[in-house]
Amino acid sequence: MSSIAPMKIGSIESAPVVEKKPEADLAHSFTKALDEARSLDNEATQKADAFAANDQSVGIHEVMIATEKANIALRYATTLKNKALEAYHELMQTNV
Amino acid sequence: MSTDFFTAMEVSASGLSAQRTRMNVAASNLANAQTTQAAGGGPYKRRDVVLAAADLPNTGEMTGVVKGVEVSSIQQDQSAPRLEYDPGHPQANAQGYVAYPNINPVEEMVDMITASRAYEAGVTTMSSAVNMAEKALSIGK
Repeated sequence: MSSIAPMKIGSIESAPVVEKKPEADLAHSFTKALDEARSLDNEATQKADAFAANDQSVGIHEVMIATEKANIALRYATTLKNKALEAYHELMQTNV
Repeated sequence: MSTDFFTAMEVSASGLSAQRTRMNVAASNLANAQTTQAAGGGPYKRRDVVLAAADLPNTGEMTGVVKGVEVSSIQQDQSAPRLEYDPGHPQANAQGYVAYPNINPVEEMVDMITASRAYEAGVTTMSSAVNMAEKALSIGK
């Protein structure tokens, strides 16, 4: 119990100001999501090519799964973008 | 990006591969049910798939907890061949018996249907995982 410092009145004012960069963070996660989607899309394309080239080690289900993964990753990126745009429009319609 | 949704997909994918191998082996056994000549002499020997639990790559924090499945080996059934009396057959022995493979087509059909149903179960698991991901993406819509 003694390790808890008593609260001082000035403690709130002296707290360090956290620098907030919501735009930069969202842009960053959107870029990462897009990168992920691109790499999964590349993987799906490679699998489809290998399957078309009669590579016995690649089953048709692997091709379908890879495309489904790429689809989910792309939809995640699109959803992020939509949410960001929605928030932006909401702000732009603010009556001053 | 967390690949947690993809873990279930990876695991089902390994199951689908395993069931595909079982289907191939059942097809081979059925196709060779009457084969009296195989490599190494004697009739064709029935093949059996041995499955083993295996750690999968790309399973994130679930590695070692959830296991995929892999085909550890395909073994030959060493039970005795089925002897049929047919003196006119070119492969008949001195007593007039022909050695046919130790394959019961009914058993093979059961194996085939089991593999097919297990494949369907894997696809259903996969669809559920994809559905969950899609539901998560539609939160707030």
